[in-house]
Amino acid sequence: MSARQPLQDIQDGTAVTAKDGAQPAISSATPTSSRKQPPPEKPSDIRRRSLVILSFWLIVLCLGLPIWWKTTTIYRANLPLQEMLDWADGKACRPVFPLHIAIQANSLQEQEAQNLVRLTQHALDDLNDFSGHHLRLQLSPPSGDKKPASDHSAALTIRLVPGDSTTSALDQYAPVLDITYPPNTIPSPTSSSSSLATYVASQLRSTFAEEQTIISYLLSSSSSTPPEHRAQGLTPEAAELLSKRTTRSLKYAPTYHLTFSLFTSGPLPSSWDIEAATDEYMKPVLDVLAPIHNFTIDTQVQLYATPGVQNQVLSKEDLSSFINAAEWPLSPSIGGAPTVNFVVFVGNQTIMAPPTTSEGADSELPTFQSFLIPQWGTVYLLPLPHNTPHLSVAMLKQPLLTFTSHLLSLTGAPQSGSLPLRLSTLARIRSADLLLRASSTLGSLARLSLALPSISIPSSVADGVSKTMAHLRLACETLGGADGLAHARIAESEAERAFFEKSMVGQLYFPDEHKIAVYLPLLGPVAVPLLMGLLNEIKAWRKRRRERAEKGAEKKAK
Amino acid sequence: MHRIFSFFLFALLSLNFASASSVYHEQLVLQPLPLSALLASFNFRSSTALSAFEAHNFRFFPRSLGQILQHADTRELHLRFTLGRWDAESWGARPWDGAREGGTGVELWAWLEAETDEEADQKWLTLTNALSGLFCASLNFIDGTRTTRPVMSFQPEGDHPNSTVNNMHLLYGVLPHEVVCTENLTPFLKLLPCKSKAGIATLLDGHKLFDASWQSMAIDVRPVCPDGQGCRLEIEQTIDMVLDIERSKRPRDNPIPRPAPGHELKCDTSKPYHADDTCFPADYSTSQDWSLSQLFGKTIERPCPLTDPGVPPVCLNVPDSRTVFVSHGVVEKKNPDGMSRCFDIPPEVDFNLSLPGPEQKEGEEGNGQIEVTSDLVKSKTPLLYAERSFTGHGQERGGVQTMLRNPSPDNEVEFIYMESLPWFMRIYLHTMDARIEGSYGHNSSNSLIEEVYYRPALDRARGTQLEVRMRIPPASTVFLTYDFEKSILRYTEYPPDANRGFDVAAAVITILNSDKSSPRFAAYNLRTTSLLCSLPTPDFSMPYNVIIFTSTAIALAFGGMFNILVRRFVAADEGPESNLKAAGQRLKGRLATLFERLRNKRAGVVAEKQPAPAPQ
Repeated sequence: MSARQPLQDIQDGTAVTAKDGAQPAISSATPTSSRKQPPPEKPSDIRRRSLVILSFWLIVLCLGLPIWWKTTTIYRANLPLQEMLDWADGKACRPVFPLHIAIQANSLQEQEAQNLVRLTQHALDDLNDFSGHHLRLQLSPPSGDKKPASDHSAALTIRLVPGDSTTSALDQYAPVLDITYPPNTIPSPTSSSSSLATYVASQLRSTFAEEQTIISYLLSSSSSTPPEHRAQGLTPEAAELLSKRTTRSLKYAPTYHLTFSLFTSGPLPSSWDIEAATDEYMKPVLDVLAPIHNFTIDTQVQLYATPGVQNQVLSKEDLSSFINAAEWPLSPSIGGAPTVNFVVFVGNQTIMAPPTTSEGADSELPTFQSFLIPQWGTVYLLPLPHNTPHLSVAMLKQPLLTFTSHLLSLTGAPQSGSLPLRLSTLARIRSADLLLRASSTLGSLARLSLALPSISIPSSVADGVSKTMAHLRLACETLGGADGLAHARIAESEAERAFFEKSMVGQLYFPDEHKIAVYLPLLGPVAVPLLMGLLNEIKAWRKRRRERAEKGAEKKAK
Repeated sequence: MHRIFSFFLFALLSLNFASASSVYHEQLVLQPLPLSALLASFNFRSSTALSAFEAHNFRFFPRSLGQILQHADTRELHLRFTLGRWDAESWGARPWDGAREGGTGVELWAWLEAETDEEADQKWLTLTNALSGLFCASLNFIDGTRTTRPVMSFQPEGDHPNSTVNNMHLLYGVLPHEVVCTENLTPFLKLLPCKSKAGIATLLDGHKLFDASWQSMAIDVRPVCPDGQGCRLEIEQTIDMVLDIERSKRPRDNPIPRPAPGHELKCDTSKPYHADDTCFPADYSTSQDWSLSQLFGKTIERPCPLTDPGVPPVCLNVPDSRTVFVSHGVVEKKNPDGMSRCFDIPPEVDFNLSLPGPEQKEGEEGNGQIEVTSDLVKSKTPLLYAERSFTGHGQERGGVQTMLRNPSPDNEVEFIYMESLPWFMRIYLHTMDARIEGSYGHNSSNSLIEEVYYRPALDRARGTQLEVRMRIPPASTVFLTYDFEKSILRYTEYPPDANRGFDVAAAVITILNSDKSSPRFAAYNLRTTSLLCSLPTPDFSMPYNVIIFTSTAIALAFGGMFNILVRRFVAADEGPESNLKAAGQRLKGRLATLFERLRNKRAGVVAEKQPAPAPQ
């Protein structure tokens, strides 16, 4: 029955429209008042119509919308945004470098030594104004007389030896500070101060002064560090010097490629003993650096190379354009690691000394023969008599020594102290640097995902973020030690990988106009009848309710 | 007489073996060709001890390339950039017996050392990407679909130790669409020890090189282990170009091509109808006169001082009878065969060479033709001529026909024909047929095709690889044909210029060396031209049309159905009067009154006007 009903409706409808079109004159002529009322609708028809509209809307809402939502949403993995921002703001981790310093006093009695250590620690704490850098003294058990205790957790060992006067000397081959003292300076167990303790404390402080300033500079230059954590004792000049040094040094990498290039303006010299020369002058330093960095070396000879500047005397401005990047094959090595370039340029050009003496006092400026290009490498201008066919090891000595010292400053090693101390300091500086860098990358990622709601965040990014944070936490806990560097390194590389995820870039630009252009032709013709049907139905339903209410009222009145 | 070129090859090879201690040499061979063409063949060869290479110490071997080879474990590398077509009918055999040239575009094949195929693929990807950056070419587009692993066509040129040979994988990729240009030449020249600052490389200039009728740049890296000496890694860079002398000379005084004035026309005076106003164009070869500075726009600035003094930097292949003028101080050495001469350039001397046209012998006009032939060194006849073309019509199917002609009257030719076709050309292997011209029997093909290696294509993953070993009897022409079907690509797979067609790489023909005593694998190589295959191309506004069309269809179907389901149909006089109809009626009424008023007014005007003429 119900199936037949619409069919009749259709026939009715066609009949109506046909009539409608055929007799416009009549309908216009008939006055509105004389319109016939349609016969009352059967209640079952009304119910059926409501059901039809309801089922359409149910399909749209329960099936259409979820499918549309599911297929068009951009996948955004959950990122711990607040935590990431905390890391970037320095709230998650307070970088603290607890440095253990072992004191070896074989000639002192246990009691005396303990007392001395206590006093020195007091003196140190009084001197220290930077909370991020702690020096913790420990008395190491008396051991073999000559060898320093092989205690790896200690950053420095102080060897107290009785002597004639108070002197101190850094061991050149091990992290050991030798201090001699006259026997009468040993503090008595009751005294509250001692000249020897103060002396030891000031010596320690001066030994670690550079490291402290660098680390406090790093912390303060990462803008996120809370202000109370910053060091006060950083003068603007010192900060400027340090910023110069940090911009000069290369980004940390476990491996560096060293490229030695010989450039000559003519056909000669065309060969050099670079292998022997590096073995002799550079290898020792590379071996020492080996725990922190690996190095690969390659060499090349390039003839007929014209520099970017042809002046006989190069001024400071010329140096930046001296490297002829368009013609010289100094492309970075493949394999991901950064390349450090060392260029020997055979020619009689020289570099003008810095013009004023006040600047000349700055020993950092390269003078006369070589200059350092920040984060890139070094150029050495080697004057040679004409027609030298071959560069011998002896001729390469000066350039290579220059390169070696520049390599140290390119890696960012501090400039004072003995070599082992400088290297352990380098490890700590690097781990602090990496930690801060990874934290700021996390912060950038968090801000990026907040700023671009339409960017997709694949799950690999979330993985990278969680890995980064795990390693950051570990690195923060073990900041002073060797593990700290390794964790910070992993954290930094994971953070970079998460930030530079390729698939995040692809959907960056998908404008809304495009969506409208695609949806409108489809949604317009479908949405309009649906909405109109719903509105009409609601109107009819209201009308019916009102009528029913009126009828009810009439009935009651009767 | 026609073995000059091979003699030079042999001389070069023997020199190389004789003086292995010298690490660099370069040579330019100039050979005038018929029809006013000149073949200039530049060869630069440098080498380094394998031990120094492995220790990353680069001297004459370029570091940029060396690092790439080390990074991708490449043991032997061949890279070709080619442009134009070698006209074998008039120019004869190819330089270097075709060993230093590729098909149009870029061709790369290399032997990589890897444990597994996957590892080799990975290294190949590294290699192509790195080379792409080094040579500013789209080599990174050599992906799985353009890479094949030839089985028969290539053999390593270098001496590889037995331990590595087992793990070496040959991969071959080709980009026929690549346009070779100046940006490829610049990095090429940077690899040379003397750059383009000294030596014969000073002549190379993008404007001249890419204006040539045919040019090919090649880089070959291979290990060479001479007996009793340490192994060396040798890099050979070759540039061959065929210059059109007329065109090369033009820009100097007359950059815009204009017809030559009458008195400058080269006429064949031997014709009976030759007169002041009639001219039969003479064969170009009769009137060649050129100099290096005219052709290349410059002279060779001082020789490269690193080059091996035993190898003359410039050679010219013309008969001894012709006079050649050279710069002061240059020593000319005539070779004993009487058909070529070489020049030694002293240091710090600029070298120019000028070849005047052959002397016209007065009163011997009738014998002009004979003189012409003796003015040039005749090129060797190639071992095989090959032409490839498409057959068939329509967008669905097509065919490929290769015409292979063996010109030799008494020697048969055995060769390997290799095609690497894109995946969207699906070939029907059963239709492959080889028949000798004039015979239509099917039994002939059996004897012609000796071996077929076929690796079918996978859609979007790899292309077809087809290698056919054939033997062609003397003085005969063979047609090798097969049919293929064109597949329809996806919308996004079409390039921006889809209607141009898709380039199909040149077929590589390797003629096997019949002389078993010689170590060389191939006696001669040649490539056919590349083909342009047009695929059915869709209308690219299609997605928008589809959206609009489906929307319309849905609107029609859905709207109608929905209205029928939810509306109530009543008689016209029973329904409520629609607002629209009422508004229409109101408008109609208003229009009617307005119209009435207008008519009345006009009637009034007419009524006013009418009385006026009435009195007249």
